[in-house]
Amino acid sequence: MDLIKYFTFSMIISILGIRGILLNRRNIPIMSMPIESMLLAVNSNFLVFSVSLDDMMGQSFASLVPTVAAAESAIGLAIFVITFRVRGTIAVEFINSIQG
Amino acid sequence: MDLPGPIHDFLLVFLGSGLILGGLGVVLRINPIYSAFSLGLVLVCISLFYILTNYHFVATAKLLIYVGAINVLILFVVMFMNSSEYYKDFNPWTIGNGLTSLVCTSILVSLISTILDTSWYGIIWTTRSNQIIEQDLIGNSQQIGIHLATDFFLPFEFISIILLVALIGAIDVTLQ
Repeated sequence: MDLIKYFTFSMIISILGIRGILLNRRNIPIMSMPIESMLLAVNSNFLVFSVSLDDMMGQSFASLVPTVAAAESAIGLAIFVITFRVRGTIAVEFINSIQG
Repeated sequence: MDLPGPIHDFLLVFLGSGLILGGLGVVLRINPIYSAFSLGLVLVCISLFYILTNYHFVATAKLLIYVGAINVLILFVVMFMNSSEYYKDFNPWTIGNGLTSLVCTSILVSLISTILDTSWYGIIWTTRSNQIIEQDLIGNSQQIGIHLATDFFLPFEFISIILLVALIGAIDVTLQ
């Protein structure tokens, strides 16, 4: 029963993250927050099953996922800083003019 | 943690409601700084969940990495931009957004009914056991250390290369 409760919570956070990306297409840092939330929900899924199956593989894998999340959020925000410096605006509808 | 049953259930419901409120706050708040603080609430609640399931190392690691690094980075960038002209036209109740909410809610309902209808006991008892023999005698951090050094050695090295490349790339791109 614990598996179902923890799994339901991580599923809710994952679906909220998907909905957040679809609703919040205003500017880039706001869009990166639900992406982090989705990564967190998937990570929590790994850990929930590692707890219930009594297996260490899920926990070791779930210790490596936040580092990848940190790297991609750092790169994403570096791209955002460059876009802001070049374009002067951060609205997402001008993103298709990034070239080369 | 070996807490008594009602305290465990109460903490579960309390942290779960904090989690859901924080998640809704990330999606629906208009001011992006409130949204970033709601993300911090989500991350802290998930870390406290892991303390309840006896995984102390992962809880602390998540607090340090997610809250201490990623959330602070997002807050820096959100405070860096002048966002007052970007959230006047946020309307969560347009037709497209309502359709998205309907689709996401239906996906959530179908997933939760699938979770509740699956017989997890049949799946759990047919897994192979991949355990170290003295697993109850060594601590949680030691178990993760043993697995990272033996089974996950190659992903560990690749992650260190990924972090190095991300660091150098981010600095090089923003320095011009």
